[in-house]
Amino acid sequence: MSGVVGATLAGALGCAGLPADWQFVCQNADYLAGGLVLTVALTIASLLLGFAAGFPAGAIEVYGSRYAKLAVESVGVVLRGTPIVVIFIFTFFVFPVTTWFPIHRVLPVSDAFIAAVVGLGLRSAAYQAQMFRGSLQSVDAGQMEAARAVGLSKVEAIRHVVVPQALRRSVPGFQNEFTIVLKDTSVAIAIGLAELLTRGQELFVQETTAVTEVILAISAVYFVLTFGTNRALDRLNERYAIPEEA
Amino acid sequence: MNEATNDTDPLLSVESVSKSYGDEQVLSDVSFEMDRSDVTVLMGPSGSGKSTMLRCVNRLTEVDSGEIRLGDMVVTDPSTNVDELRRSVGMVFQDINLFAHLTALLNVTLGLRKVRGMDAETARSLGVEHLERVGLGDQLDSYPGELSGGQKQRVGIARALAMEPELMLFDEPTSALDPELIGEVVEVMRDLAAGGTTMLVVTHEMGFAREAATDAIFLEDGRIVEDGPPEQLFENPQKDRTAQFLERITSMYDS
Repeated sequence: MSGVVGATLAGALGCAGLPADWQFVCQNADYLAGGLVLTVALTIASLLLGFAAGFPAGAIEVYGSRYAKLAVESVGVVLRGTPIVVIFIFTFFVFPVTTWFPIHRVLPVSDAFIAAVVGLGLRSAAYQAQMFRGSLQSVDAGQMEAARAVGLSKVEAIRHVVVPQALRRSVPGFQNEFTIVLKDTSVAIAIGLAELLTRGQELFVQETTAVTEVILAISAVYFVLTFGTNRALDRLNERYAIPEEA
Repeated sequence: MNEATNDTDPLLSVESVSKSYGDEQVLSDVSFEMDRSDVTVLMGPSGSGKSTMLRCVNRLTEVDSGEIRLGDMVVTDPSTNVDELRRSVGMVFQDINLFAHLTALLNVTLGLRKVRGMDAETARSLGVEHLERVGLGDQLDSYPGELSGGQKQRVGIARALAMEPELMLFDEPTSALDPELIGEVVEVMRDLAAGGTTMLVVTHEMGFAREAATDAIFLEDGRIVEDGPPEQLFENPQKDRTAQFLERITSMYDS
């Protein structure tokens, strides 16, 4: 692990004058920041994987053939019904994904990171599929009919008329999903990934009087991330809202 | 649009069309024809099969038996490309169904670009032209949610019209509108009829039917009770049932 006493961030913060345990947190700000980077990267990668797999899955649940639906729904039920720790144990220990896809040899990430992304990403896909299924179904059937009547094929109608409206309606659900995935990255502590919570734990094990301070500091970081991103998504929602009567 | 060679053949021919949903017979043995520039009005009590008849023409609904032809195309032939068919048939809906996420102009140009393959510039100028034709040249960038019901339906008409269809279908285009907004939509439809657009219209707008229609068909329980020129059907109906129905809607609309 890199130096426990960070120089840059801690220096910038000016940790002197703080109570001892807060000073400890402050001095290790760089170390925690490293965990934060990992947490953010894990969240983004998982949500992207979740979208890449979840959106088509949701579309299949609405438009797919009977068997395709059945397959997607079954996988979804299993993923949504399994605790995230158990999913991690599978992706890391039981069927380590990096055995088949040694991505960690190409990218500067650990095998635990890959296992966590796959675990969180697949589970997020299962939830995002439900979200997109709901928003696709919420688009009035008349929209599809009108699009078909103009001469668009079913796929074109879905792409140009239904999906643009469904995506807009998905933003609030996506805000929830983002918040859940962000916080659940902390469960990657179970497979030793050095994300924010894991690093926090390493710190308070070293300095047992600072448990509360470390945990509070970490919580504040999670809060700022969830709050800030949710506000940004609120903006996005307003920005792309379909104009209604003035 | 009027090709000399086709002038003698009907543009639309509906022959012995039947359709049922489960036990419910929605259309029984319906036959009629339309020439180019005809305006045919379909009337009848709710549940009489008018809308189903209309939807069979662009295959939003499939017939059980019978044949529909549009020009050279056998509409009811399963091998007929529905997307191609729908390029030749415009439809205006009771629920209007404008694309909610698109401005008035983009509602009109979507089909032009994606179906007729026009570039954005050509589609835009054609879209503007058609919106101006329905009196909405000043609402190009308004979203459906920002328009009144009458304006929305006029965009709906422009959207269908811009595709330059051979036949326009109107499925109760004014039924969902506030009474004071019906006039502007009917006016646009009158202009189209006068301009030679071939129109098959499900409506109870007697004024429109009287002035603009070339034919009127009275449907009940999926059967044609009576058809003929509107003046004959309205002034001198041959069947009691037609007379009763007309009396009822006339008193309703005149009150």
